[in-house]
Amino acid sequence: MKDEATYRRLFRTALLIRLVEERIIALYPSDRIQSPVHLSIGQEAVAVGVCDGLRPDDLVFATYRSHGFYIAKGGRLDAMFAELYGRTDGISGGKAGSMHLTAPQVGLMGSSAVVASTIPHAVGAALSFKRRGSDRIAVTVFGDGATEEGVYHESLNFAALMEVPVLFLCEDNGLAVHSHRPVRQAYRLAEHAAAFGIGSRRLEEGWDMLAVREATLQAAAKVRAGAPFVLEIATSRYKEHVGVGEDFHFGYRTSASVDAFKRRDPLIVDAALAKALEPELEREIDAAVAFAEASPAPGRPELLTDII
Amino acid sequence: MNVALAQSASQGTRVLSYAGALLETMDAALARHTNVFIMGQGVDDFKGIFGSTTGLAEKHGAKRVFDVPLMEEGMTGIAIGAALAGDYPITTHIRADFSFLAMNQILNLAAKYRYMFGGLMSCPMLIRIVVGRSWGQGAQHSQSPQATFAHFPGLTVVMPSSSQAILDMYPAIIARHPGPVISIEHRLLYNLDFTVSDTGKHVPLGSYVAREGTDVTVVATSVMVLEALRAAQYVHDKAGVSAEIIDLNSISHPDWDLVAASVRRTGRLVVADTSWLEYGVAAEVCRQLVVRDPRLLKQPPSLLGMAPAPCPTAKSLEDIYYPSQHETVDAILTQVTGAGHGIPLPVERSMTEGYKRFRGPF
Repeated sequence: MKDEATYRRLFRTALLIRLVEERIIALYPSDRIQSPVHLSIGQEAVAVGVCDGLRPDDLVFATYRSHGFYIAKGGRLDAMFAELYGRTDGISGGKAGSMHLTAPQVGLMGSSAVVASTIPHAVGAALSFKRRGSDRIAVTVFGDGATEEGVYHESLNFAALMEVPVLFLCEDNGLAVHSHRPVRQAYRLAEHAAAFGIGSRRLEEGWDMLAVREATLQAAAKVRAGAPFVLEIATSRYKEHVGVGEDFHFGYRTSASVDAFKRRDPLIVDAALAKALEPELEREIDAAVAFAEASPAPGRPELLTDII
Repeated sequence: MNVALAQSASQGTRVLSYAGALLETMDAALARHTNVFIMGQGVDDFKGIFGSTTGLAEKHGAKRVFDVPLMEEGMTGIAIGAALAGDYPITTHIRADFSFLAMNQILNLAAKYRYMFGGLMSCPMLIRIVVGRSWGQGAQHSQSPQATFAHFPGLTVVMPSSSQAILDMYPAIIARHPGPVISIEHRLLYNLDFTVSDTGKHVPLGSYVAREGTDVTVVATSVMVLEALRAAQYVHDKAGVSAEIIDLNSISHPDWDLVAASVRRTGRLVVADTSWLEYGVAAEVCRQLVVRDPRLLKQPPSLLGMAPAPCPTAKSLEDIYYPSQHETVDAILTQVTGAGHGIPLPVERSMTEGYKRFRGPF
């Protein structure tokens, strides 16, 4: 039975993420956001389902494609737009930008543009939790491509050996920039995890926020009990790897692969609910954009602060 | 305790090896700070990183001092994550060359965490790496990457040249330093005994004058500080030449004013570094002086470092690959009295052989 209140809560956050990114698309030609943006449109259900399935004090380590996780974990929207604008009131004073969104106050730790590089950070935070007898867990979010990096293997091995409370969360959009998974991977993720004695699950319904939430709750319970876990969620990146456009015309993939996903995407399917929530969310975004517009740009006094 | 030790103890000094100083500071850090832990390949084995962690796992427990798989990048990333969660990790690499496998985490993440996120987070941690030299260390057990690390803003790089430097710097780093620190230790120093004082003037997290002098300034790093001190004694005894030795000590944040003031007095410069000269410490010393005042030097400086090649294994090649005591003395004398100084140089010998007989007091 569908829990209506939970569905509406998740739907609202997912829609906020999509509308925020659509606003970014609209603003982008104005050059107010002068940095690369990696949009998560199509992948929102993963961010909201996962973050809702965690405790607020659990830590999430993320990637350059983290607008969704920033919002879902509870990061301030005005400070996010100011950050994208490169302004002093940005969450990181403009030094981070889109690729390094972070909000440690709500448990979103560093986002890195170097693929796979924050995976061991979550393992380290989990090691700390275990050392202190805490029941918090650490989550590392990464794409399917990141599992090809050596440090993913190192991190799984260490996590299994030390039995630390870390959840490895793979957002499988099937693409590493423009390369498809079958030409990149000679292994299966579940079998790879099993080689370390690490349990795993693959969820095909990555559009289904409630299913993602439920899978996260189950995985997090295992992790909290001391067993690392790999949760792989199939999802779909509607836009190009980086930038605000689509990329079907380049011929490396077809829109059909995305269309199948869109036909199940609640943000599209449940148009009535989206329409009902939109005005309120747009006002929230308007206010955040206005906050960013009004914030001053950093300069000389900020250039050399917080280095060491 | 022998007579000499008893006497020195009564004067507030004692004799302590470099490895012994490391072991003391690691032990004290574990005892003083519950958030400190040490991980690295072999930290809990019978060799204990050349004696610098021996017995600590037994004393403080396997959760505080533990071995890790062969995973330099993963280990360093784990240290970063633990630091972000409030721990103070100390990691080790028994040769600096292995830390190159962790370069992604060190350069792209640890060095950036504080600045890139606008001061929201920091990852205080200590990375101890050991430079090898002699007995055929070869191309991949001999590299000394201080210039590489110090090139990247966000990293603090130190090269302790004595037991005193370790006793003074490590506790301060572990207790108070806000960011990641890379300490480049030299394997040749580990077994040397130094006279240390627990009450005297402390070695700063910067540079200091290791020997005062008036004729020439010698800026040195790590084991080359000892080479320079030996050479300074030799030129003093044989030729009455007074060399001032500055231990650069902090490679990322040296006291350039101290260096410049010394060179302003002497007008002559020797730089003795443990690595290559190209784009290295010697080049940086010259840059710092030239941008202050191009007239500081009366003549071109003498620069000593590794030959511009990967390190060869054969002893006959290795002996001419590194600057010898002979060359260090020659460089100092040439600066002060010219190339035709005519003063006999010390007998050529490899530094390792020399150090078997060398014992403090520096």
